[in-house]
Amino acid sequence: MIRVIKVANLKKLVVSSLIVFLLGCAPGSSLTYYHDPQMDFAAIRSVAVMPFENLTREPMAGERVRDVFANSLLSTGAVYVIPSGEVSRGIARAGILNPAVPSMEEIGKFAGIIRVDAVIIGTLTEYGEVRSGSASANVISMNVQMIEVQALRIVWTASATKGGISIWDRLFGAGGKPMNDVTMKAVTDVLDKLFI
Amino acid sequence: MFSTNSSFKLVSILLTIIIYLSGCSATNNQKISATDKHAAPEKKLLTAVLPLHNLSGTPVPLEDLRQRIISGFKKQGLNILADHVLERFIVKHRIRYVGGIDEITARDFRYETGADAVLITSVELYNDNPPPKIALTCRLVSTGNNPEILWMDSLGLAGDDSVGILQLSLIEDPRQLLEKAIRQLSISLGEYLAGGSYSKDSQRGIIKFWPKTVYRSPILEPEWKYTVAVVPFLSLSEKRYAGEIIALNFVEQMMNQRKFSVIEPGVVRQLLLQMRIIMDDGISLADAHALFSKLNVDLILAGKIFDYQDYQGTSGKAKVDFSALAIERQSREVVWTCQSHNEGDHGVFFFDWGQINTAHVMASEMVASALETLAE
Repeated sequence: MIRVIKVANLKKLVVSSLIVFLLGCAPGSSLTYYHDPQMDFAAIRSVAVMPFENLTREPMAGERVRDVFANSLLSTGAVYVIPSGEVSRGIARAGILNPAVPSMEEIGKFAGIIRVDAVIIGTLTEYGEVRSGSASANVISMNVQMIEVQALRIVWTASATKGGISIWDRLFGAGGKPMNDVTMKAVTDVLDKLFI
Repeated sequence: MFSTNSSFKLVSILLTIIIYLSGCSATNNQKISATDKHAAPEKKLLTAVLPLHNLSGTPVPLEDLRQRIISGFKKQGLNILADHVLERFIVKHRIRYVGGIDEITARDFRYETGADAVLITSVELYNDNPPPKIALTCRLVSTGNNPEILWMDSLGLAGDDSVGILQLSLIEDPRQLLEKAIRQLSISLGEYLAGGSYSKDSQRGIIKFWPKTVYRSPILEPEWKYTVAVVPFLSLSEKRYAGEIIALNFVEQMMNQRKFSVIEPGVVRQLLLQMRIIMDDGISLADAHALFSKLNVDLILAGKIFDYQDYQGTSGKAKVDFSALAIERQSREVVWTCQSHNEGDHGVFFFDWGQINTAHVMASEMVASALETLAE
């Protein structure tokens, strides 16, 4: 009887150790979001993705992530995403000085010019390689907001952080996943929260 | 009363004549279209070999390269226009852009020099440090009133592409690599001139080349042969001419897949200049509208390139990252987009087996895979 209990305890110990170990191996990842419960998202047919505000040291990071985001959003087939060239034309015609952080008034004017149901603005807070001792890995941290242009209110926000140094990277110096893969993962996670 | 009737008749006859004559002369108002026939010529083509277009961003021995190409292509039965005739024509028409040919230049080429076709060669990569690397794109464009691409091929070679046992197959001499490149292009051209179909080994079945995200609108007809104008991509890469290089890649892969008719890029470029279209952040719907009004095409293909990276020496990796979109004529909507990125060592684990050493080869495979989703 004692022997049976001991084996059962040992099994529990092994399983729980394994879970703790595997969780420890996972790289940094977080996701928060807000969904306006009163908003009918099916009414949004067309969306403009504004240039992302880039708070990182990588000069092209904002444009890269915006492109991945816009393409991924369009590829869901749920909404039509206005091409970036048309968005740029709308920004110029609306006279928006800082398109990454437009005012509600500017968004209203812009939406009237290019005729969209919603505008997405985003901020990139981290993009690139992070180092800790001898280990390094790629990380991305972004947040996006969707503004519905009829009522000019925020109906959806999401932020995600992906990548970072895992235990695996620390032990074996694997160097993490390529930046593009980390970006895709973060964008996919963010978009998953739009269509819940 | 009689005089009023006769003068009315006279005016109507004059108007008819004016309308008829203006209809005959107004070639500039006609829409430019592409034909999908690029069958092998029946006679020996008199070809003008234009000076090489350097897209590598580095110094290249262009004239030496051109002479080698001429001698290689002559062996395949291409009749080459004399250099002094070509030079006189270039000086007379003040031709400075040699990466394409517009309608007027194509017409003048035919009627002033008698050339049947123009060979346009772009050097995308030239690196003579060991192991050497080279990437070339050649296309044969017909002259006359409607310039169309007859044949197009490209290659990217590195001296260490296949080193073999004890590195016996390693190419360290750039001239040897150049000869190999020209030989391959000559064979491809020879097959076209002989009426055969030139085909290249493709690895597009490999998953790593597939685009990462794709959107294809249901309004696109399956198995329909679309006529496409490819505009230069917006380059956000460190490589200066990456936008033109990737656009050429799209043109070539469309020609190879034979599921599209493609407008000669020189014609599209000339239209962009004429209409003063500057695409600061990619193509807008207004730009597309303007192009559709002049081009008889179903789709306009544009995009952005973020990385087009080659490397020198043995350590490093090629990197390509682009996104593309197609705007359709009737709906004026984006009907297809794709986003693709790759690195030369992706999926390489043992002894560099499967490594891709030039961005050109990787881009070709990625573009071919992306176009499969458009043409499906």
